[in-house]
Amino acid sequence: MAVAAQSAESAEPILRLRGVGRRFGGLRAVDGVDLQIRRGDRRAILGPNGAGKTTLFNVIAGEFPPTDGTIDLFGTDVTHSPARHRAKMGLARTYQQSRVLLGLSVEDNIYLAALGVRTGHTFPFRSRKRDAPLRARAREAAREVGLERRVGAMVSELSHGERRQLSIGMARVAQPQLMMLDEPAAGLSRAERVTLTELLLALPEDVTLLLIEHDMDVALRVANWVTMMHDGRVIVEGTPAEIRANETVHELYLGKRHYGD
Amino acid sequence: MSTVANTPTRSWPPRGAALLGWAVLAAVGVVLLLAPLIFDLFWLSQILTQALWLGIAAVSLTFLYRYGGMTSLAQVAIYGIAGFAMGNVVHTINSEGGLNLGWTPWLGVVFGIVVAVLLGLLFGAIASRSYGIYFLMITLALSLFVFYFFGQVTQLSGFGGIRSVSRPGYLGDPITHPSPLYYTCLGCSVAVYLLLRYMVRTPFGIALQGIRDDPGRMSSLGYHVALHRALAFALGAFVASIAGVLSVWFNTQISPGSINIQQTIAVLIIAVIGGLSRLEGAWIGALAYALIDYYARQHTPTLGLWLNPGRFATIIGVVFLLIVLLSPDGLIGIGTRVWALVTRRGREAEPGTAAAAPTAEATLEKAGTMATGGPPSSGRQEA
Ligand SMILES: Nc1ncnc2c1ncn2[C@@H]1O[C@H](COP(=O)(O)OP(=O)(O)OP(=O)(O)O)[C@@H](O)[C@H]1O
Ligand SMILES: [Mg+2]
Repeated sequence: MAVAAQSAESAEPILRLRGVGRRFGGLRAVDGVDLQIRRGDRRAILGPNGAGKTTLFNVIAGEFPPTDGTIDLFGTDVTHSPARHRAKMGLARTYQQSRVLLGLSVEDNIYLAALGVRTGHTFPFRSRKRDAPLRARAREAAREVGLERRVGAMVSELSHGERRQLSIGMARVAQPQLMMLDEPAAGLSRAERVTLTELLLALPEDVTLLLIEHDMDVALRVANWVTMMHDGRVIVEGTPAEIRANETVHELYLGKRHYGD
Repeated sequence: MSTVANTPTRSWPPRGAALLGWAVLAAVGVVLLLAPLIFDLFWLSQILTQALWLGIAAVSLTFLYRYGGMTSLAQVAIYGIAGFAMGNVVHTINSEGGLNLGWTPWLGVVFGIVVAVLLGLLFGAIASRSYGIYFLMITLALSLFVFYFFGQVTQLSGFGGIRSVSRPGYLGDPITHPSPLYYTCLGCSVAVYLLLRYMVRTPFGIALQGIRDDPGRMSSLGYHVALHRALAFALGAFVASIAGVLSVWFNTQISPGSINIQQTIAVLIIAVIGGLSRLEGAWIGALAYALIDYYARQHTPTLGLWLNPGRFATIIGVVFLLIVLLSPDGLIGIGTRVWALVTRRGREAEPGTAAAAPTAEATLEKAGTMATGGPPSSGRQEA
């Protein structure tokens, strides 16, 4: 489909936002954002609390439509298409507050993430044989995020950190082309952050990463390009080094608050 | 998942708690199989057969709630649709109500089930985008709609119902010879139970549980949540329609009164007092319901102005209230706790395993979380 057409022309951005805005009543949570993400980009989105980062994610992933502007994903206009279409096109995301399926096991959660991007999962009678590779991949993904000893555990029994790990496992197992992580390091211990950073650095090169992260160590190590948001707008873009050096950024963000715990 | 928590383990020969589990299961099986030899006609028919078909109706609700997070009040309406559809097309003796098209009973069964499943799919599609109390209200409205429809369209429901609906020949007269109908209901119950147990472990069923936990999340994982819920609802309708067919054979008739709001609430009560955490709860609840209903009618004492045999419904209400207050997870919840106590004692008696055995508190706590750990509310993701 659109995905195949796009890969021939890798200079075309896989995600393009034009004048995207989202209002909540009188509040402009996201306001006139233009954004271009190319295949393989590692983009960090920074900004103080309430800057509109999560809202931007929700609009891109299809949680709700924008009130202004258009969104092209893999060369297709998806502004008004539902989240499930975008997932099938190759977009996977995590949430700021882990959203995992509490009544199911770790393996079932990851399995569902792998199954969802396929077609035909409403058909109940999939044979065990056809299902086995997906099950194997689910266990493998659990191992990759360090949950191999918890595959059978109910998700409601997992700790906060383990749920974060699971969220990333669910995003990875879908083999997305575009992966969007909303503050994956929030609430993690120092050791867990190091593991997370390594995991993100080890992602295949053609996987595009969009990362919201308050932890500068994680964000600036993983990202090769940074977008800074404030009051719903993009205020600065640049390389991690440029962002570190930027006056406005310091004033708005780095100097004012200490994130990272 | 709590449905497997108590299943006897795979090790063979079974020991301790597992052995006890098998023994209980075998005893129940033997009693059910030999029931016509053990119980008198009244018990076999009015208590056991009725509990079995009511259990099938209730398990369609338990399934939708436990695995789909949908509290449906339309299950009785759906079994009514199956019953009326069948009643209209088959032969009715003396042409008492309905279209009386004279089809064979088995063709009528197929027709009734197909119509109910198709309308169930439609109802499911209508309700599939609603959650929580809104889902409840929509299914209640559908239920009332069906009730009034059959109440008013007397061409389809006869005046006061379709009576003497013909049955497959092997059933004979269920009043004087209740065994064939009893075994039919037993067989259907086992088949429905196994079908649902199977379905919840298929990809479809696991995805349904994911949707129960967080529909928004499932949508972002690529699932068509509304379609999935509608299909699950249709599966529930299929199960309910079997109960509808059996109820018509059991009562030999169907009338709008068979699917009124009281019956809707009765099926809800059965599912709740049985316990919504396990499918088995539906039949346990139905048995309790049939027993309480019968004994309250028979034995309600007279206490001045407050109580007399005409007020048996008060007794029924109080008993249900007590069950729900004692155990939020109904009779299944009480059973789980008793089981935990019994197996703990068993394990302590067995030397060497006591250390590995979970403490009674932990077991009880587990039973408690199972009791309250039904479908997490879906209100949370309605952002
Ligand atoms: N569903 C909603 N309804 C109403 N207002 C909302 C909604 N979601 C977000 N907002 C508002 O939009 C603004 C931006 O919120 P958003 O969550 O996008 O910020 P953020 O940059 O992710 O902040 P944080 O760093 O705290 O996660 C905030 O003022 C928030 O209160
Ligand atoms: Mg946020």
